[in-house]
Amino acid sequence: MSQAGPDLSLGQLGTGNRDDRLHFRLILRLLVRCLHLLRPVRGHLALLFLGFTALALVFVPVGILLMDTFWTRVLQGGALTAPQAGLLWLDPAVFVEAGTLGPDQRREVLLRTIVVGLGFGLAAAPCAFALYYYRVWILQKVNQVLRMRMMERLQSLSLRFHADSKIGDAIYRMYQDSAMVTQLIDVLVIAPMGMLGRFLFCVVVVAFFDPWLALILAALWPPLLLSGYWFSRRLRVRFRTAREANSALTSRIQETLQGIKVIKAYGAESIEQARFEADSRAAFDAAFAARGLLAVFVVLLFWVVVSAIVASTGLAALKTLRNDPVLVAALGFSFWTLGLFNYFKTRFGDGAGQLRQFFRTWGRTQDIAIGLDRVFELLDLEAEIVDAPDAIPLEEVHRGIRYRSVCFRYQPDRPALESVSFEAQVGTISAIVGPTGSGKSTLMALLLRLFDPQQGAIEIDGVDIRKVQVASLRASVAVALQENLLFGTTVRENIRYAVADASDEQVREAAWIAGADEFIGQLPEGYDTLLGERGTKLSTGQRQRLSIARAVLKDTPILILDEPTASLDAATELRVMDNLAEWGKDRMIFLITHRLSTIRRASQILVLKDGTIAESGPHRELVARKNGIYRSLVETEEAPIGATAAGVVQ
Amino acid sequence: MSRRLQEAEEFGSLESIRLLARALRYVAPFKGRFALKLGLLCLSLLPLLVLPWPVKIIIDHFILGVPIGEQPLAYPAVVRVFTDLLVGRTPLEILLWTVTVQMLLVFLVGAVGTGGAERDQAEAYLASGHDQATQTENEANAGFSMASGLLGLFDFRFTIRLTQALNHHYRSSLFDRIQSLPMTAFDDERIGDAIFRVMYDTPAITSGVYRILLTPLASTAFSILIILVLSSVFGNHPIIVWTAVAILGIAFAATVPFSGALRRRAGRSRRAGATTTSTLEEGLSNILAVQSLGGEGREKERFDADSWASFSRHRSQVALGMIITLCAVVPAVIVGSRVFYYVADLVIEGTISPGDFGLLFSYFMMLTFACVEIGALWIRVQEAAVGLQRVFFLMDLPAERDPDDSFAVGPLAEAVEIEDVSFSYPDGTPALRGVSMEARVGQITALVGPAGAGKTTLAYLIPRFIRPALGRVRFDDVDVEKASLESIRSQVSFVFQETVLFDATIEENIKLGNPEASETEVRRAAQVAGADEFIRQLPEGYRTQLGRSGGKLSVGQKQRLSIARALVRRSRIVILDEPTSALDPETEQRLVSALREASRSRLVMVIAHRLSTVRSADQILFIEAGRILERGSHPELMAKPDGAYRRFVELQTRGAA
Repeated sequence: MSQAGPDLSLGQLGTGNRDDRLHFRLILRLLVRCLHLLRPVRGHLALLFLGFTALALVFVPVGILLMDTFWTRVLQGGALTAPQAGLLWLDPAVFVEAGTLGPDQRREVLLRTIVVGLGFGLAAAPCAFALYYYRVWILQKVNQVLRMRMMERLQSLSLRFHADSKIGDAIYRMYQDSAMVTQLIDVLVIAPMGMLGRFLFCVVVVAFFDPWLALILAALWPPLLLSGYWFSRRLRVRFRTAREANSALTSRIQETLQGIKVIKAYGAESIEQARFEADSRAAFDAAFAARGLLAVFVVLLFWVVVSAIVASTGLAALKTLRNDPVLVAALGFSFWTLGLFNYFKTRFGDGAGQLRQFFRTWGRTQDIAIGLDRVFELLDLEAEIVDAPDAIPLEEVHRGIRYRSVCFRYQPDRPALESVSFEAQVGTISAIVGPTGSGKSTLMALLLRLFDPQQGAIEIDGVDIRKVQVASLRASVAVALQENLLFGTTVRENIRYAVADASDEQVREAAWIAGADEFIGQLPEGYDTLLGERGTKLSTGQRQRLSIARAVLKDTPILILDEPTASLDAATELRVMDNLAEWGKDRMIFLITHRLSTIRRASQILVLKDGTIAESGPHRELVARKNGIYRSLVETEEAPIGATAAGVVQ
Repeated sequence: MSRRLQEAEEFGSLESIRLLARALRYVAPFKGRFALKLGLLCLSLLPLLVLPWPVKIIIDHFILGVPIGEQPLAYPAVVRVFTDLLVGRTPLEILLWTVTVQMLLVFLVGAVGTGGAERDQAEAYLASGHDQATQTENEANAGFSMASGLLGLFDFRFTIRLTQALNHHYRSSLFDRIQSLPMTAFDDERIGDAIFRVMYDTPAITSGVYRILLTPLASTAFSILIILVLSSVFGNHPIIVWTAVAILGIAFAATVPFSGALRRRAGRSRRAGATTTSTLEEGLSNILAVQSLGGEGREKERFDADSWASFSRHRSQVALGMIITLCAVVPAVIVGSRVFYYVADLVIEGTISPGDFGLLFSYFMMLTFACVEIGALWIRVQEAAVGLQRVFFLMDLPAERDPDDSFAVGPLAEAVEIEDVSFSYPDGTPALRGVSMEARVGQITALVGPAGAGKTTLAYLIPRFIRPALGRVRFDDVDVEKASLESIRSQVSFVFQETVLFDATIEENIKLGNPEASETEVRRAAQVAGADEFIRQLPEGYRTQLGRSGGKLSVGQKQRLSIARALVRRSRIVILDEPTSALDPETEQRLVSALREASRSRLVMVIAHRLSTVRSADQILFIEAGRILERGSHPELMAKPDGAYRRFVELQTRGAA
């Protein structure tokens, strides 16, 4: 089974893993592991089983009676037995006591048999259908449970995982791989019990007639087992390749469409088309390899089994010719007659057929196992950020936040933050500036516990945030991200994303603070306007303001704004910052920005460079430092303004 | 859910026929292989006729010892070929020969007897779940044969390859079509839905076409064969044939009224599946937002609802299918019992032996199945029609295509001119009103203005991401309305506001627009964009795999990469939309000087509202509410008292106080 740690991503699992790590025992373990997924529906399964049993108890005896009535009484003219006469509502005196039946009587029996048969059939059909529908419902429920588990797991995995994985792969696993769970009942229960049970019955019956023939039937096992063994592993490898190839194709479609703007702008459509066709062909080739081999296996099974049937038929014919006695008289047969010959053929064929079915199911089970294995690959991944067993909820923030010598690296050789320490109090605005890639966004990501630092700690009111429940921590922090990720729902729903039960009044207020109320009012349907895929119908500035509104609405003690005004013009920016300053009087605001013009009102400015805090302090202090980094940044931004006023072009 | 995709939701029978006819046209390139498949199908049906006979031969001539030719029933021609060879042989020889021939048949065509175990079909259907998507995967790779053995294997492989070739052809066409949709189309559509259509709706074409082309022909041929064999063996029993025909009628009449209902349910099922895919895809793409905003619960709820809805829809389709089956089977069985009685009566009368009942009746059953296949054809094809409709709808959306009289516009020499252009978005919002401007090669033109003024819209006109409703766009005095897309876009490199990077190496991402670029060119472009430094600091440098959406880089780094991508293309026109919004002042200045350098031989257009980015432009166009209010260089515009630009600048700088 997979031993994935937090650093292993789905992208790395399951690809290039051509070695098959499943074998028979593991497959069984896999299937058994799935059994607990059936637990939520066990009541329904019991009910279903009862339903089928009830149906069988009623209809199977009737069926047997009618079959016998037809074959031996109607067609051959024997007298009816008492239960048969009763079933057909015929006078026993005439139909049972008489030795044989005349043609007219047989016609009468035939007619009634047909009518009674039809009647029972028509009664049975809706019941059987209803039970089948019930079965579909149950299996869908199980599938749904599995999908939700996978969804939960995906969401709790760290961003590092998501950066490396492909969306198409997740989609494929949620759909195709998880659907294999619906086959559990067939594979674990029906196949072994139903098929083998019937096979056993047939072997025993045949043995009564002739042990050698029964031996032929039983002797089918070794060759079938051998071929099953030979094919299993090869099938699994090919099934895995096929699933991976289809998954890759799904990913290709998703990625291309996600980046379609750039592809069109750079005329790269034909390249993408070529890549798509290559992936599509690869998927089909893989499917062909897998299914082709399965077909060979199926045909091979057929050959083996039917050869045995043919051979045994010949032998049985010999016995019938010689009228041999049977081993144990049963079912009314003492000698090998034509009647026994027919019956034997049916039984032998049935037994052999069950065996063939069983091994065919085994062939399909290889695919099912691979699908489920891929599901558990995902479910076995460990979430990086988990609540400590004794985690406490975060109630309120009274004093402030402190970073103590925090070190963090995304990957072992890519340090992002080194020994960062600072403090921020409630009621202040802290600005974080620095060149791109200096670690500003990372600093805030740690506060949200999107990742945990390798060394050092972050404390809120003196409590290490790792001791706090993650959900309550994130509920206390609102973020307006740099990337303005919106969803394809209405404006109102987007703003309400984090606070589903906010009133319209609150939504509007948040929008006003963010400077978004105005442009929303100008949209065709106002707050009910549907945004396109990822909110693409709005300009970046508008999306930025929606993000801010979304964060403001959450009404948290801590607010993080990551480049909130990068795409806003000066007037709007001024307005929004004013509103935020007012709104944030009793809160803690973190402002990450390049726009130095916006941060003059900050209580402290942290200058990040290469992952460390190079300078910190209020604006007037930092700008006064000779050769200070902050000072040079300010000068770079401001210089031309002075030149402009003098009318000199740089 | 996009409103656009909801159009033409429901459709009638006439439309079904049109869809299917269209699907058939798509199959035209494959007609040779189809003919071959039809031949194979007919060939593989022949063994079915041989099924019951070997055992009868053994019973009659070996066990009962009846000499050849004196058995009660005449053998059909095909069997007689064999029995004639056996005339005069001892029973034991007959047994051995028959068994040998049976083995041979098993090996070659896989048919021996009428029992369930003795017949087989070569197939490789894999397990699927109870939902639309997983069941389609079997359809997409449908390989089947009516026979088994070597013939079956060959038939199977041929069929599966044919199905795959068809499906590959269709989904490639659909994908191509999707890519060629105009950029504005992608504002509305959802990615998950498109994935669903390409992966799970396209196989409907093959299944529909198979049902139309193969089933009727094969079933009819088969029926005729059976009737022939039947009459040659048992003599004339017209009631059997007529009953089968009646059942065909019943199958048809009982199922056709449901076709509308089935289409609706199938459509809903597919749509629900597509919605689930979209929800899933969006939630995963936006995982950063989801985790930061604590939206996990919400996403889970959304997905839970959508997923269960798609299951329910599929279930209702299954339920309807069962009802339809009942409605067809019940009358059919009642009618068929007439034949049951008839044949049993033949036995009672002594015309045929009890053993032959099975034989005759099984032929009747085969005939009936063939007839039901034909009768139920229409209803079976409805589901395919729904998938077809979803596919063709997307294919029919107006795509960007060069008009027939398109020409290739030459390399830009002097200027791009926009003359009197007006443009409104599909929902009616006007974006540009009567805008005219000129941008020259060798100059930097800056578009400045408040957010939503129409700057990006104006810039989109040049590479023809959008077409003007009124007015003209000219390259060097040549109206490019009918110019080919390729000749225009190959000259324009556009850097979008939101960076889009792919899950490939940094080098591959930069080379997107110019796959032939050399390593040095890539490096130079990265240097100019200010990206080379941080790239070289990465452990694998230019070969670093970026991961999904370039998720491992900071926004500023991604922005610099996309600038590098534009530069490496060496196109005449470079348009940058807010290229510096995420850059610090230092990098910004470096970029601006690089652009100045680049503009010597190019037309550079920059959209920005940061003063520091635009102040050195040769020409500044101040845009507000879709109109160009002022144009000129920075000092010129600043000199205007009360100028809109000047006010804008002063607001920016005053905000610094």
